[in-house]
Amino acid sequence: MDRSDKTVTTLGDMPSPRRRWTRAALVGLGLVLAGCAKDAPQDYFQPKGPNAQKIDDLQRPVFYIAAIVGVIVIGVVGYIVFKFKDRGQDIPEQSHGNPKLEIALTILPAIILAGIAVPTVITVFDLDKKDDTECIINVTGQQWWWEYDYATGECGGVEISQPIVTSGELVIPVDTPVLLRITSRDVIHSYWIPALNGKRDAVPGRLHTLRMQADEAGLYTGQCTEFCGLSHARMRQAAVALDQADFQSWVDNQLEPYVAPEADTLASTGEGTFIANCSKCHQVNGIANADGTPVLSDPDLYVVSGVAPNLTNLLTRTAIAGWTFDIVTEECRTKLWETKGEGFGELYLQGVTPECFDEVALREWLRNPPGMKPMFADATNLESTGGKYRGMPNLNLTEDQIDQLIAFLIERK
Amino acid sequence: MFTTGSKLFVGATVLSTVGAIVFGASVGGPTGLLGTIGLISVAIAFGFLAGINFFTRDGNVSAMEPAAELNSAAAQPPVGRSMWPLVTAVGVGGMAIGAVSKPVVFKVSVILVLAAAVEWMIQGWSERASSDRAYNDSLRKRLLHPLEFPILASVIAALVIYSFSRIMLTIDKDAGRWVFIIIGAVITTIGFVFAAKRGMSKGTAGGIVAIGLLALVGVGVASAVSGQRPIEEHPGITTAVCLGTASEAEIEEVDAKASQTVAAKSNVLANVYLDDTDHLFALNGGIGHVEYQEITVPRSTTVHVLFHNDSAEPRRLTVHLGTFPAADGSAGSEIADCTTAVEEGGEAFLTFRLDKSQDASSTPYRLTVPGVEGQEIKLLVP
Repeated sequence: MDRSDKTVTTLGDMPSPRRRWTRAALVGLGLVLAGCAKDAPQDYFQPKGPNAQKIDDLQRPVFYIAAIVGVIVIGVVGYIVFKFKDRGQDIPEQSHGNPKLEIALTILPAIILAGIAVPTVITVFDLDKKDDTECIINVTGQQWWWEYDYATGECGGVEISQPIVTSGELVIPVDTPVLLRITSRDVIHSYWIPALNGKRDAVPGRLHTLRMQADEAGLYTGQCTEFCGLSHARMRQAAVALDQADFQSWVDNQLEPYVAPEADTLASTGEGTFIANCSKCHQVNGIANADGTPVLSDPDLYVVSGVAPNLTNLLTRTAIAGWTFDIVTEECRTKLWETKGEGFGELYLQGVTPECFDEVALREWLRNPPGMKPMFADATNLESTGGKYRGMPNLNLTEDQIDQLIAFLIERK
Repeated sequence: MFTTGSKLFVGATVLSTVGAIVFGASVGGPTGLLGTIGLISVAIAFGFLAGINFFTRDGNVSAMEPAAELNSAAAQPPVGRSMWPLVTAVGVGGMAIGAVSKPVVFKVSVILVLAAAVEWMIQGWSERASSDRAYNDSLRKRLLHPLEFPILASVIAALVIYSFSRIMLTIDKDAGRWVFIIIGAVITTIGFVFAAKRGMSKGTAGGIVAIGLLALVGVGVASAVSGQRPIEEHPGITTAVCLGTASEAEIEEVDAKASQTVAAKSNVLANVYLDDTDHLFALNGGIGHVEYQEITVPRSTTVHVLFHNDSAEPRRLTVHLGTFPAADGSAGSEIADCTTAVEEGGEAFLTFRLDKSQDASSTPYRLTVPGVEGQEIKLLVP
């Protein structure tokens, strides 16, 4: 081959080899160090329950094998690239095919894959078991938040006499296998708390089950992992594991009858404001009109998914709007997230205390929800949904009304 | 100075410009703006074409090059007659008919006119692309066959499917079975003959297929004109059937030939059993060992319940979907849905959705089995 006409790049155009190696090493170091992040609550290499542990037991060996194979392949490719780099030398004699090598390189991956398949299948079937679960919670996704309905019956030794509806935070008893029955009211979502188990799709019209169990009291975060529209990135969730006694307290509190605000207070005015502006979609159990008739929400008339979050015990939760915006201060949030085991339950059951309450996000949300979280909530643009909203519209509340609503909602504990 | 072609385009340019001014002045708002922009664009396009024609002297051969009068591409006669003017005329006629009759006729005609325009333009261009007729013909084929063959195949397939469907909807169900067995056998036989008989000309094979196609389309059109055979309508499940207040005849009709098995058993909210002692209970999906007398149902969510009848009598499972005030302010009546009657050992799916909280209904949400007293499963909708 005539090499006389090849283009020559002068050395002056390129960084020196030492500089190139330094740059590559820095990039590599950055990538490696990124894996050492400690503030990573959704790190799926940190299982906190037996189901997630089973996944971890499976994925670690697979990861290590893949890493070894990857290092070997990249090393060999790198060696070949540098060793046989075009330096203007003659092209060596070409050969085609090496049956022994090809057969070996076919059989070896097949054996590795077969070896991985056995524990994979065992784990998949193991994770799918349902018979030993002791509690049922219906988990329903909609744009862009998760609702939890606690079925009546016994749950981890605690009797639930009436259904409980909450959102954002899934509260479960520690060391109890809980069965989530996951579905969706609008589009496909996917439920994932990486510390406790893998993902499960929420599909309208279908009911998928997922085991959930936590070894230790604490707060474990997750997020929707199936792109579900405008605010998919702001559809978050958390699982809160409580000791049995604390779980009992939580259930008791959730089933407490409604206590109306004291008369002639800002909160009591807020109750009226709530009934007038919010109760068409949001339910507060037990709230009644002046004539004593119960106020019942009809979100199915206004919202595509047919529901809006139940606000009966809003201030027992630490975040709003798809568990996206904290209503606790940074300090309290950090304390809650970092406390595990003993002491967590007490901390969590205090709910949002006056010291911890941070009304900024709640106030801003009431002022203009679509401004905080992208939603299909423009009343002039709802032809395609038959006039129904996807998300919360701007109700154009006055500052006085917002003050009243906050005073009312802060008592919903 | 001005050539014939450029005069045409200059005139069109002037006309478009005048049109743009008149339209812009007489029609206001967004429509006026858009229309004016459109007409100005047309004027610019015509102006451009006028310039090109002027520059190339209409593509006329120069008097200094007499040989080109015979050899140039433009001097070549057309390779054949064109059917596209006729097709365009048919399309325009169809548009006129469609405009006053059915929109579908108008739309199909528009497509026909557009297709004819494309074919006509490309044929016109390709016939004079060079002085080599064979090359010109191959050029046309190369450009249009990738378009023509798939479209033609789709049209023929649509005609065949449409004709078959019309025939099947017209003839008797049992006769249809035999007709299509015979047609299938004939097609297979002809296919076999085609394959076995070597040397059959393309024309013969194409002729046989064309005759078969014409026959099929002809019978299909005749079937479409004669209309569908009477199709028996069966009543669906009604609240009266589910609550046992419908007539015996209606209930019998609903339950006739009802399915007794369910294939898709996953994905259920609960399995509901009626045992051999007429005891009704539910096993919640997931926790199999606890009998439930109440099921918590997520609001505004479509759910499925699988009913198993282990009693000796045929039974149906009824879901009571509540009672809500009517639009006129009256109390309203209870709504219900149910399975068809399930024989002993059979099963059936019941799908329902409860949009309102249980407190909104004046009657409780529940599952019952008509004819079995004192047994119910509460449905709790928070």
